[in-house]
Amino acid sequence: MLTALLTATFVAAPAAGRPAAARPAGRTAPTLPAQVPGATADTANGCLACHAAQRRAATEGIHAEHGVTCVSCHGGDPAAVTLPRGHSGHFVGTPDKAATAELCGSCHSDPDRMREYGLPTGQLAQFRSSKHGQLLFGQHNNDVPTCTDCHGTHIIYPPYDARSRVYPTNIPGTCASCHSDPKLMAKYHIRTDQFAQFRNSAHGVALFQDQNFAAPTCVGCHGAHSELPPTVTEIASVCGRCHVLVEQEFAKGPHGAAARAGKLPGCLACHSNHGTERVPADSISATCDRCHGSDSQVHQFAVDIQHRVVQATADIQSAERAIDQMAAAGERVGYYRFRYKSGLTYFREIAQKQHRLNLDTLDDLARRVRSVSIDLDSRAKGTQESRWEHKLLLLPVWFLSLSAVVLALLALRGLRKRDRDSDSSET
Amino acid sequence: MMSRDPKAAREWFVRLWADLKASTDASLLVILRFVGLLYGPLDTRLPIGKAFRKALRHRLSPEAGWRQAFGGIAYLLFIILVVTGVLLSFYYRPSTQEAYQSIQHIVSGVSFGWLMRDLHVWAANLVVLGALLHMARVFFGAAYKPPRETNWIVGVLLLFSVFAFGATGYLLPWDQWSYWTVTEGLDILARTPLVGGWLVRILRADPIVSGATLSRFFAIHVIVLPWLVLGLLALHFALVRKHGVAPRVSANRTGRTGVPFFPYHFLRMVITGTLVVAVALTAALLFPRPVAAPANPAQPPGMLFSTWILADVSRALIYYLGGWGFGAFLLLGAGMVLLPIFDRSPERRLRRRPIVAALGVLFFLTFATAWGAGWRLRSIPTTTSGELTPFQKQPTGATPGAPLPSIAPASRPATSGSDTTNSGGAP
Repeated sequence: MLTALLTATFVAAPAAGRPAAARPAGRTAPTLPAQVPGATADTANGCLACHAAQRRAATEGIHAEHGVTCVSCHGGDPAAVTLPRGHSGHFVGTPDKAATAELCGSCHSDPDRMREYGLPTGQLAQFRSSKHGQLLFGQHNNDVPTCTDCHGTHIIYPPYDARSRVYPTNIPGTCASCHSDPKLMAKYHIRTDQFAQFRNSAHGVALFQDQNFAAPTCVGCHGAHSELPPTVTEIASVCGRCHVLVEQEFAKGPHGAAARAGKLPGCLACHSNHGTERVPADSISATCDRCHGSDSQVHQFAVDIQHRVVQATADIQSAERAIDQMAAAGERVGYYRFRYKSGLTYFREIAQKQHRLNLDTLDDLARRVRSVSIDLDSRAKGTQESRWEHKLLLLPVWFLSLSAVVLALLALRGLRKRDRDSDSSET
Repeated sequence: MMSRDPKAAREWFVRLWADLKASTDASLLVILRFVGLLYGPLDTRLPIGKAFRKALRHRLSPEAGWRQAFGGIAYLLFIILVVTGVLLSFYYRPSTQEAYQSIQHIVSGVSFGWLMRDLHVWAANLVVLGALLHMARVFFGAAYKPPRETNWIVGVLLLFSVFAFGATGYLLPWDQWSYWTVTEGLDILARTPLVGGWLVRILRADPIVSGATLSRFFAIHVIVLPWLVLGLLALHFALVRKHGVAPRVSANRTGRTGVPFFPYHFLRMVITGTLVVAVALTAALLFPRPVAAPANPAQPPGMLFSTWILADVSRALIYYLGGWGFGAFLLLGAGMVLLPIFDRSPERRLRRRPIVAALGVLFFLTFATAWGAGWRLRSIPTTTSGELTPFQKQPTGATPGAPLPSIAPASRPATSGSDTTNSGGAP
């Protein structure tokens, strides 16, 4: 009997023993209680006997996958069968928000422990530096989120799991669950329309509609654990982390200098922050006028830029139409498409180079786009003309067939007349 | 071999000379008579010249006239389809790698290849019309009554062969329209009770329309169906020849012996034939079938353009009446096809056959209306514009980016001690 009991205990030991062995040296492993004969030998999840609502956490989520059980965070004695004993030892219970962050950090800030999973360990330090962390640790403000509010409490999914609240498409909603709450935000004088703006922004459309996870969510610009709004002089650099070439051109131009001096909120001056609008080609000068005024010297310059961009847009569109026309007529358009792609590269370069506000560069690119467009248009026109010439065949077709029909009808009439004559002569 | 018997050789030459002399009259079939030089001397029972004269002198019943033209029109269009089809097959390559490129080559590289292709497309549309008009004439004119009911069944089989020709030929261009129309069509066919799934497995040969499907459709289109149709046509014509043209509703046979096939009916054939060729050429010249983008099984096209009369009709029926309307129309067609097998009364006047008249009028009116509606629908968007496809739709929430329904217990209140509710069951 005793042998059987011991065997069962040792067989179950790896599951229970691993988190126990991984515990910091200061804590002692809970001693196994005297087993009631016939009781279950799995003592790792004994807490679930009472806390049945947390049962799923024992099997689901990244912690369950890696053998992190109740006792790893809450302490206590999972092998106990009675309450005082179960909540004995280093029992943590339900930690408050600040303690929760410390508790998570006790493992997640340990490089030795995280090496196995390839996880970074700076989250707690970053969190302390963030606005949320400052409020939580400095002022004991419980409005701010702690780790579990974004990552989940007992069932914690990794960020690449679509069920996670920090999965890319879920992040904006997770942030908005507090930041769209007007009552909560009124206390801190923070606006609540960021999510609504983001949803329709270039980034939001890319994220939600195109499922393009290269598009930034809230954390892309504000940081995930070290969340804070970028300062005025930082903005261009933050955008430039993704829009590298645009930022290089921007920095070379007059606006770049102004932004470095803090006189201009960087990219946001034209594109706004959470709404991130693209500036349509035909409203470039109107955008410039917002700051410079329509009676300023700059206005004519803005109109010149707009003129070139509008013209280049029309050119590239007409080149695309020309290729479609040729393809519909059965032409092999591989070469023309290649030509079109080079034109498209110049066109995209316009979008990037115009941030430098140099008219000569723009002129050069617009001319290149135009030359591609004219080339393709003329080829498409040639195809259309030869297609039109096909229709000239209608003339001989109808001339010949109508002549044949008329001749046949005349012959038929002649035959009938002959028959009638012969009939009458017979009678 | 003749030289061994000089007498027989001389006889052969005498007969040959006589035949040559007979061939020098201004006959329309002088070339075929020269063929008779080979045929005549060898087969003494009926020299070819005489055989032709006999055929030309064959007297048609006095009822034969313009009303009988539709069958001939359908036959002429079939001949056009065979000729253009053979020419196309010189260049067409039935593989997913080469099909689209070979069509491009036919349209833009081969001289008059574009004409062959457009003529093939348009003759395929017109042959359906010709066959249906022929069918309507037979149906309303009670030409299917005994002894011609077998020929009605052969005719119906020919009509189905025409449909099968069009359906299999539709896939061969291997562009987006043909690929997705066939996918759609096979999906509809798969829902046919009892045989649908089995039939589609055989036809498609793969879980999706693929190269295997293309090979099967090509083989059916150029090997199976042509031989089948040739056999059916031979039977059809033999039966027409055996039973003669059906008598008119108000038969008045007294004192009329009919006219010889040549030149009376031959001239009518020349007139209708010329007009049919001219109409097919005109349609092909004025409305060439565009070459769509190459087939892409991963991406349905934004617009699905239909290029075949039956695709127009079925699409309009499904679009306006739904699947049940389409099914009801198929039942109506089946009723029309089967009715002549049961309708064996000698009554020929349409006024005395109200059920037949109603059925026929309903069928042909629906067909014509659906065709007209299909023309208006020629290209319908595959999805309602602006709406996300099912693939793009987020399975998790109605609004993009909305927070997930929480799986774990929702973020708990900031204060500690609320997690004790579960311990109520503890002893």
